Amino acid sequence: MSASGAPVLAVRPSLWNVALVFATISSTSFGGGQKASIRQQVVKQGWMDADAFLEGLELAQVLPGPNILNLAIFCGQRVRGIPGAIAAFFGASLPPLAIVLIAGALYFKYSDNPFVRGGLRGCAVGALGLTVANALELSWDERGDWIRLLLLAITAVVVSLFKMPLLLVLVVFGGIGVLHEYLRARRQAAI
Amino acid sequence: MNATFHTALHLLWTFSQLSVLGFGGGKGIIPQMHRDAVQTYHWVTSAQFTQFYTIGKLVPGPTTIFAALIGYAAMPKTPLLGAAVATVGMFVPSSAIMMGADMAWDRFANSPWRPILARGLAPAIVGLVWASVLTIARGAPAGVLPYAITGVVALLTLRTKLGAPVLIVLSGIVGIIALR
Repeated sequence: MSASGAPVLAVRPSLWNVALVFATISSTSFGGGQKASIRQQVVKQGWMDADAFLEGLELAQVLPGPNILNLAIFCGQRVRGIPGAIAAFFGASLPPLAIVLIAGALYFKYSDNPFVRGGLRGCAVGALGLTVANALELSWDERGDWIRLLLLAITAVVVSLFKMPLLLVLVVFGGIGVLHEYLRARRQAAI
Repeated sequence: MNATFHTALHLLWTFSQLSVLGFGGGKGIIPQMHRDAVQTYHWVTSAQFTQFYTIGKLVPGPTTIFAALIGYAAMPKTPLLGAAVATVGMFVPSSAIMMGADMAWDRFANSPWRPILARGLAPAIVGLVWASVLTIARGAPAGVLPYAITGVVALLTLRTKLGAPVLIVLSGIVGIIALR
C-alpha cells in the first residue's frame, strides 16, 4: 500500500487464489464475522484500500442478494475483472452448497429417527429465536421515525394476513419508504 | 415436456424472481418463498421448509443457500440436479446485477439515490422479516417449551455475544431431550 493512501494494488492475485480466499471464508465463518474476514483479507493483503472496501460493502448491501456473496463478487471484480468476479462467485457459493447438501442428505436419511426429529425441532425453534432477535433489532433501528414504524407494521400485517406478493410489497411499501426518505433528504438539504 | 424438465424450469423461474427481489441481503424473501415452495408447487411441507431454513442458518455461508434443499426435495429422482438448478436460480441473477453495478460504478458511486434507496426500502424489509417470523413459526413446534426456547434464544442473541450456530445447537440439544 502506498504511503499517500492512494489505492495502489500491491498484489494481483491469481483467479485460483481469489476463489480459494472466498472458499475459505465462506466455509469457515458465519454471519457478521464473514465481513470482518473479507475485510481483513482484501485490505491487509493489499487487494484494495479500506475506502474501496467500504464502498463495496455499501453497494453489496443496497443491491439484492446475500451481502457476503455480493461483497465477494465486488472484491473479485476489483482485482481481476469479470473473471475474478466469477472466481469469487464460485469460491463463495460452492463450499456452502456442498455443506448444505451433506446436511440435506443426512436430513433425508435420518429425519424419521425420533432423536434426530427432536433435535431438529429444537433447532427450528432456536432458528426462530434468531429471526425474532433480528426483527427486534432491525425494528429498534427505526424507532426515531413513526412513519417508518407504521410502514413496517403495515407491511408485516399485510404480508402475513393477505399474502401480498413480494414484488407488490416492494413496489408499494418500498416505494412509499423511498419517497418518504427522499422528501426527508430534500428537507434536510434545504435547511 | 417431461416432468423433470418441467419442475426444473419452475425451480429456476421461482428462485430467479426471489433472487432479484432479495433486497436487504435476502432477508425479506422468506414469506414469498414459502408461498411458492409450499403452497403453489408443493415441493416441501411447511415443517420441511422451516427445517431447511434452520439448516440454512446452521451452516456457514448465506442462509438462502437452503433453496438448494428445496430443489433437492422438489426433484426426488434427480435431487442433485434440483439442488443445482435452485441454487443457480437463487444466486446467479443477483450476482449478475452486482457485477453489472460494479461496471457502472462511475454513475453509481456518488448517486444521491443510493442511500435514499437503501434507507427507504428498510421499513418494508423489516416488515417482511416480521412476516418471516410468522412463516417460520408455522412449520415449527408450538407449545410452552418451544416458545420459551425461542424467547431465550432471542434474548441471548440480543444480550450476549453467542453466535447463531452455538444457539441453534444448544436448542437442538434441548429438543433431543424434550421435543422428541
